[in-house]
Amino acid sequence: MNSMPTVFLIDDDPAIRDAVGLLLRANGLAVETFASAVDFLESDAVQRPGCLLLDVRMPGMSGLDLQKRLQEMDCRMPIIFITGHGDVPMAIRAMKAGAFDFVEKPFQAQALLDRLHEALALDAQERRRQARRNDVAARLALLSPREQEVMERVAAGQYNKVIAADLGISISTVEIHRKRVMEKLQATSLSDLIQMLALVGGE
Amino acid sequence: MKLDNRTYPALFSLLYIVTGWLWLLIDNLVLTVWMGGAAPALLPTVLKNTVVIIASGGLFYGLLRVHIHMTCRTRQQQEEIEEQLCCARDDLETRVQERTTELLKMNSTLTQQMASRVQMEIALRDSEERFRQLAEHIREVFWVYGIVEERVLYVSPAYEEIWGRAVQSFDERPLDWLEAVHPDDRLRIQEAHVDKHRLGHLDVEYRIVRPDGAIRWIWDRGFPVRDQTDHVYRIAGLAEDITARKLAEDQLRRQQVDLARMSRLSLAVELASNLAHELNQPLAAIVAYAQACLTLLRQGHTDPRELVGTFEGVVNQGLRASEIIRHLRQLVQRQVAMQTPLDINALLHAVIHYAQLELRQARIDLHLELTESLPKTLADDLQIQLVVLYLIRNAVDAMCQMPEGSRQLIVRTALASADWILVTVHDTGHGLSPEAAERLFQPFFTTKPGGMGLGLPVSRSIIEAQGGQLWATPNPDSGVSFHFTLPVYAPAHSPYSDHELDAHRLPH
Repeated sequence: MNSMPTVFLIDDDPAIRDAVGLLLRANGLAVETFASAVDFLESDAVQRPGCLLLDVRMPGMSGLDLQKRLQEMDCRMPIIFITGHGDVPMAIRAMKAGAFDFVEKPFQAQALLDRLHEALALDAQERRRQARRNDVAARLALLSPREQEVMERVAAGQYNKVIAADLGISISTVEIHRKRVMEKLQATSLSDLIQMLALVGGE
Repeated sequence: MKLDNRTYPALFSLLYIVTGWLWLLIDNLVLTVWMGGAAPALLPTVLKNTVVIIASGGLFYGLLRVHIHMTCRTRQQQEEIEEQLCCARDDLETRVQERTTELLKMNSTLTQQMASRVQMEIALRDSEERFRQLAEHIREVFWVYGIVEERVLYVSPAYEEIWGRAVQSFDERPLDWLEAVHPDDRLRIQEAHVDKHRLGHLDVEYRIVRPDGAIRWIWDRGFPVRDQTDHVYRIAGLAEDITARKLAEDQLRRQQVDLARMSRLSLAVELASNLAHELNQPLAAIVAYAQACLTLLRQGHTDPRELVGTFEGVVNQGLRASEIIRHLRQLVQRQVAMQTPLDINALLHAVIHYAQLELRQARIDLHLELTESLPKTLADDLQIQLVVLYLIRNAVDAMCQMPEGSRQLIVRTALASADWILVTVHDTGHGLSPEAAERLFQPFFTTKPGGMGLGLPVSRSIIEAQGGQLWATPNPDSGVSFHFTLPVYAPAHSPYSDHELDAHRLPH
């Protein structure tokens, strides 16, 4: 249950929490509601997969404050802001600060659901990328310094002969290292290896 | 040997007798010798003459004695008189001396009196001079009216400048000044003039029409002048040209009316925007509930138990929306300022309801210290709501720069006296500089970056229009308290009952 992508709805108005919660659940989404940003931060939800449906105007910590706080915590959960009529400037600020989107009250259910699905998909994708990144990083950590040197040169497109000359070792030794690298990283081809490195390097 | 009154007449008489007898003897002897011895009857003659001499000597003595006696008596009397005179003179001298001392004393007193009199005269002259300078140079008209004389006794020259009429005209036509009074004010001033005689007091404002047709506003005040018997016999007064002030006041009043309208509008707009926000919440909830229902129905979930809760949500949120709209209608329905008996605590609750969101966003702790069972007040509730809302908003602005946790807003009600209800809005903001405190209620004075400086003067004029007062006091620790009073409603004076008036107020 904990790993199921969830919409975390934060709004200080109980009626909104109830009604929107009901709507989303009816549409098959897992929903958890919080009355304030602090309640959310104090729960374990921050670490879980999902997206945020967040009211801009709230007592205590506002939606924008929470957004800032999550960025500081390096939490990349997508945020869809709920705004009222006159909150366009706030919405603009939220978007500039990296919000996924904003929806105006009262909501168009389908549009909200579409955006929520997109946000959840984005989160899932992001989490997958993150998981793979962690995986690759873990595998890279298994390489010996010599293997790392060889791998960097292979990825840079150097021939074995050049690598051997550069490192002052025999071509056959280079080939052995190269084979070990591919095994340890579970790379099926050179392009696979390059993709893996790009994923980690892009971090 | 001392000659007394008795011896020396005797001596003189004896000498007279001896001399006489010797003279007789010598005469007889010479005669005897010359005739030659033939002196037959010498002896008898001598004897005869001797007797005569002795007798005349005795007589002489007697006469002398009488004379001396007489002389002595006269002298005695003279001495007595002299003595008496002497005494009298001494007496006189003493008295003269006493009198002289007295006179000297009186003289010095008189001199002193004269000196002080001269000083007084100088002082009087100075004072007169000062009075004259004052009376002739002040811009106000100084006048003295004699009650007995029934005419104006003195008018300072400023009259000519303000009234545009000659001072001499008072002598010719004593009611000249009254003719100058604007026809609309004349009757009132005539009455005040009659009262002035009776009371000795005068305090009126009126317009005059100058000969050039210009209209001036005059503020005329009179004060009684009493004689030694405490009887008012004159009235001294000052008439001041207050045209400029009056015009400024008029202008200010007009501006205030405009501002009140403007401010009321802008406050109403803000209120409406607040209410719109409030309204959006239940609307959003209703839409979401309905959409949830639709989703369930489309999915074939027709279990009533599942749908009932959702529809209950719709109904409740619909009611919440209508409640907000009812408030809005109450606010906008009555446009005419109307005084109705109202419960100030209920009014404050209503206003705080609107301000709630703002307070929450500004992270301000609100404390309501409302005195229970206050009497009702007679006021225009929309206007009072706007004032309270404004004061709360003002407090919010004042506290936004303060550290979180120290932002306290206290709204308090109390019965200040039997006739007045007191409302206090207390903040813990940055407070006021003395200069700001002084100018707080002046239009266009503001300490806020985007402020117009109209809220407080407008609020004050609103409260004053309801008969109350609005003022500010610094708090001992931090921030400012704004207080306003509203009159307690006394239903006994109203032709309507409380209930009836309440019924009038309800929106239809």
